[in-house]
Amino acid sequence: MRLSIAALVLLAAGCGQSPTSNKGSASPSGGELTASIRTEPRNFARFGPPETTTYLVALLTQAGLIRINRVTDDFEPWLAQSWTRSADGRQYTIKLRPNVRFSDGQPLTSDDVVFSFDAAYIAGWTDSLKVDGRRLVVAAVDPLTVTVTFPGPFAPGLRILDNMIVLPRHKLGAAWKNGTLQTAWGLSTPPSELAGLGPFVLSAYQPGQRLVFVRNPNYWRRDSAGAALPYLDRVTLDVVPDQSTELLRLESGQGDMTASEMPSDAYASLKRGADEGKLRLYDLGPALNPDLLWINLKPGAFAGDPRASWLQRDELRRAISLAVDRQLFVDTVFLGAGVPIFGPVTSANRRWYWSGIPAVPHDPDQARKLLASIGVNAQRPARLTILTQKGRPTLERGVSVIRDELKKVGVMVDVAALEGNALVQQIYSGKYDAVYFNFLTTDTDPALSTDFWLTSGSAHFWNPEQKTPATAWEAEIDALIRAQAVEPDAAARKRMFDRVQEIFAEHQPAIYFAAPRIFAASSTRVGNVMPAILRPQLLWAPDTLTVSAR
Amino acid sequence: MIGYIARRLAFAVVLVFAVSSASLMLARVAPGDYVTETLGAGAGRQEVEEARARYGLNRSFGAQYRDWLIGALRLDFGRSMQYDRPVADLIPERALNTGILALTALVVATLIGLPLGVVTGTRRTGIVSGAIRAVSLVLLSMPPLLTSLFLVFAAAKSGWLPVGGMTSSSGEGLLRHMIVPVAALALPLVAMFERLQSQAMSETIGQPYVVATFGRGVPLSRVIWRDALKNALRPIASIYGLVVGTLLSGSFAVETITAWPGLGQLMLGALRARDVYLVAGCAAAGSVFLALGTLMSDAALAMVDPRTAGD
Repeated sequence: MRLSIAALVLLAAGCGQSPTSNKGSASPSGGELTASIRTEPRNFARFGPPETTTYLVALLTQAGLIRINRVTDDFEPWLAQSWTRSADGRQYTIKLRPNVRFSDGQPLTSDDVVFSFDAAYIAGWTDSLKVDGRRLVVAAVDPLTVTVTFPGPFAPGLRILDNMIVLPRHKLGAAWKNGTLQTAWGLSTPPSELAGLGPFVLSAYQPGQRLVFVRNPNYWRRDSAGAALPYLDRVTLDVVPDQSTELLRLESGQGDMTASEMPSDAYASLKRGADEGKLRLYDLGPALNPDLLWINLKPGAFAGDPRASWLQRDELRRAISLAVDRQLFVDTVFLGAGVPIFGPVTSANRRWYWSGIPAVPHDPDQARKLLASIGVNAQRPARLTILTQKGRPTLERGVSVIRDELKKVGVMVDVAALEGNALVQQIYSGKYDAVYFNFLTTDTDPALSTDFWLTSGSAHFWNPEQKTPATAWEAEIDALIRAQAVEPDAAARKRMFDRVQEIFAEHQPAIYFAAPRIFAASSTRVGNVMPAILRPQLLWAPDTLTVSAR
Repeated sequence: MIGYIARRLAFAVVLVFAVSSASLMLARVAPGDYVTETLGAGAGRQEVEEARARYGLNRSFGAQYRDWLIGALRLDFGRSMQYDRPVADLIPERALNTGILALTALVVATLIGLPLGVVTGTRRTGIVSGAIRAVSLVLLSMPPLLTSLFLVFAAAKSGWLPVGGMTSSSGEGLLRHMIVPVAALALPLVAMFERLQSQAMSETIGQPYVVATFGRGVPLSRVIWRDALKNALRPIASIYGLVVGTLLSGSFAVETITAWPGLGQLMLGALRARDVYLVAGCAAAGSVFLALGTLMSDAALAMVDPRTAGD
């Protein structure tokens, strides 16, 4: 329920094509798919801070009660076969799928589900499994039935469970009892000690080199024709820290896909490869998580600073938004592969994007007038420092465009590019003028991203963790976000969230300029790909992927 | 000689202690820590504090350093936060990988660079000597990062060699995977050895004792390859240790680009994640290699020129 630079994006606005049909092919089963990962996982159980590779390993080896279909953005029954909801909407009675076995042959029971919730809460990295900071209460009714009780009404309902995997009590129960759960299933755990409900099991881990997964013989899913899934025999994740090398491996046919998206700089090369029939290129549309610029709005942050009279004013932010040519931004920063945007929710979030959001024109004259109204003019030019992350080309190019555009309207910008860790530390300290950065959201649903929207949220970057809302418009956003989170009617929720976006656009506590288009690529031998906007774009449904012979 | 080696070993212990302590301190005092890296900017204050307590990062540097030092004396270098494994377990497997790469590169560079240096040092003119010198200058001016990128690119485009990694799941073995990273490391060394050996050889070949030997009717090739070469080896021997140490302590760029799971790649990841104990462990391993390399170099120099053993 928060936003984080390292956070995994678990849910996706659907986009892209439908899976290609296997009908007509003699047998889609078999074969090995090789993908590259940039970093190694932290453990084999998702105990710990969210991290892309750890999540991918869990996606291959574990399963949850429900799954978000990243193409449709709907959640669907997974280990939960069906459920009913109580009249007050707070309690769900979930029937588990019968005859499901872990990879080691032990049956799945409701005890495993209850244990998994306990394990997740004990492990301590469970913000995404809480509602308003409070835990869900889970109880076993019979071996195949559990109840999940929410602390209060919660509109997204079981969608919240996409973050939870069902772990084997018979394997981890001892660690849970002796208090070593957090370190259980670390990277030195032999693969034979692991068990899961996912389509694959870890067969080998070679530190720094690769993880090899083989088909789980007890996997519970079958395709529409009744054939056992997964189709693939093996999945290999090769560790390739350098993105250029990842791309070269793909182009040379030594890898089938990358676990994450391709940078916009690589588009030309990928397009050439696609045109030559060497690989398949997927244009997944605008990003869900665009870069943002915010000014420190914490009250008192500039006490005693002569700039206090204008630095935190709405007019300054509106002037910045007007001063930057968004098309120039797209062309310079994303080499044309992007779209201008005017708020935090992009069109990639199809369900929640407000198409009526007012477009901000490029109007330097109006920007100068706004600046003059707060006392910034040729005689009293404004000067501020924008922090950004070093080594991320799109951030560095973006802040350069902002600096050049603002100079034209009399706002002098000093850019300080910091190493990522130092930047985060600076943000924590609250001692800065402005920041240009990027954050990944944990969900498309605003009720599951309240840390960004609510004034009490830690990801309300411009003025986080407020005790009471600092401004009337923030109080209104708080009220709307809280109301939509408990509103059962989807249309009413959408109207409320549209209003949130409208208020946000009016005051622009964070300024958005452009969203890059997201690209992914695979070798042509990979079938049944259902590309989605979020990581892992091509690997989120591994049990139905197929490969043809090399 | 024993006293000399003992002095060198004592120096090595001090070096390892100083380098690892300095690495730990620098990684610790730099802004941010493992928690800021993993939780990111959107984390709540309480969450950050809890995570720092979990990893012991809320303690003072003095307390952290004291505990680390006591552990290090027992060869327990702490636990990697990133991998949740003891640092002492992580280092050897990666050091071995780096060792395989570095020693192969060194052997290749020596076997190619020295003879080429002899050739260019004894033949001032000629197309062959000129071409070797030109290629050496190009290779010397190219940083390993560029060499690696070029070689990986060539491997990908030609399809002759695997792109990255140490082995393939498809069964391609270590030898084929080694070609690109070994070449990336060895080519600049070949050029360096060739230039040094060439210079030393051309100076040695003009010495009166060489001219006299030749004048006595000893064949030219024998004069060059037996008498002059031994005396011209001193410059190479004197830098050999540093080269060995540098190679073994991990070539960050080459290992990262060629996805070679060595010490350099491990340390780079640890630095990025601010995994302080792993950084210190990698630095300690690197300094051990450097110290050993220097010791080897001194020993080699003493063999080539016994007068240096007393230095």
